[in-house]
Amino acid sequence: MSQLREPAFDRVVALVLRVGAFTCFFVMLTGLLMGLFVHDSIPENIERAGVLLMLATPVVRVLVAGILFLREKDWRYGAISLGVLTILLLGAVFGIGEH
Amino acid sequence: MFSALLLVMGFFAGILGALTGIGGGVLLTPILALHFGIPIRQAIGTSLVAVITTSAASSSVHLQRHTTDIRLGMTLELATAFGAAVTAYLVGYFNRNVLEGLFAGFLLYSSITILARGGKLKDEEAVPANTNGETIIPPYEPQRYPLGLAASLVAGGLSGLLGIGGGPIKVPVMFIFMKVPLMVATATSNFMIGVTAAASAIVYYRRGDILVEIAAPLAVGVFLGSLLGARLAPRIQTKYVVYLLVAIMLYLAGHLCVHLLSGGSAA
Repeated sequence: MSQLREPAFDRVVALVLRVGAFTCFFVMLTGLLMGLFVHDSIPENIERAGVLLMLATPVVRVLVAGILFLREKDWRYGAISLGVLTILLLGAVFGIGEH
Repeated sequence: MFSALLLVMGFFAGILGALTGIGGGVLLTPILALHFGIPIRQAIGTSLVAVITTSAASSSVHLQRHTTDIRLGMTLELATAFGAAVTAYLVGYFNRNVLEGLFAGFLLYSSITILARGGKLKDEEAVPANTNGETIIPPYEPQRYPLGLAASLVAGGLSGLLGIGGGPIKVPVMFIFMKVPLMVATATSNFMIGVTAAASAIVYYRRGDILVEIAAPLAVGVFLGSLLGARLAPRIQTKYVVYLLVAIMLYLAGHLCVHLLSGGSAA
């Protein structure tokens, strides 16, 4: 079956997710620990960076998968990745619904 | 100390989530709303961060076992991400009581479906392995894409509305209607949750509905809990863990109803 069994592809995508999750974990942990000793806005800003990195991780995952599809000249799935990426970025650009 | 409490709570939600396959968001959202007095919309946005963390950690494991159908997942993500982004916008105009009522209904529905299956949540089917210890997946071709996309739109919409993964919808649809092996359906559903949750979380963040000082300790706890849970999973009778989860879910559903009926003063 062509849909599964592409170990190299799986590994790269897994790496993106793993690096994202571990980086966010350490950034947030740093913010939390610092918050115990420092009482200004720096710890909270570090935590915010961790949260934003976490939100960005799936976006990077879609981007990387899209690039891999395009490199395989798999235009159909390259276009699908681009579509998902567009939906994700639209949310970031249009912050409507604010009160 | 407040952060430490949230971290411990995330830790236990992460363990339960990894052991049962149900995302921690289902528990975290109502606990934040009921016991921490956080408005339900912010509770949803905040626990979405934990949902993304869980999905990233667990789907990287599935990917390394080569059980995730990335092409199928990304195709259905077109629908889940779209549905999630749209309802995430709409939630800005929703009444708090409607959200709490919907969430209580969702908790009840999930509890009943889990009990109906006799407490079996994960696919515990015997998986044939070859001599290298790799799992063997029979060849398949996903069927009925329009139906899969429609179900994904609903699952995504629910995710954006309530901050949950939508696995209980996607897994059966992929397995029964799209003829995808159960193990692949589970892994692929998990894979899609990160992008689906991110599509709505970005909108919640823009609206100020993600409370960073709460999301950070929760996500750290959930991350550690799901790592431990994944290691414990093969050694633990998950059946009892599932009943514990159902008990917590029913308690939270009841508490949400009381909270609603008493006009929000029972927190």
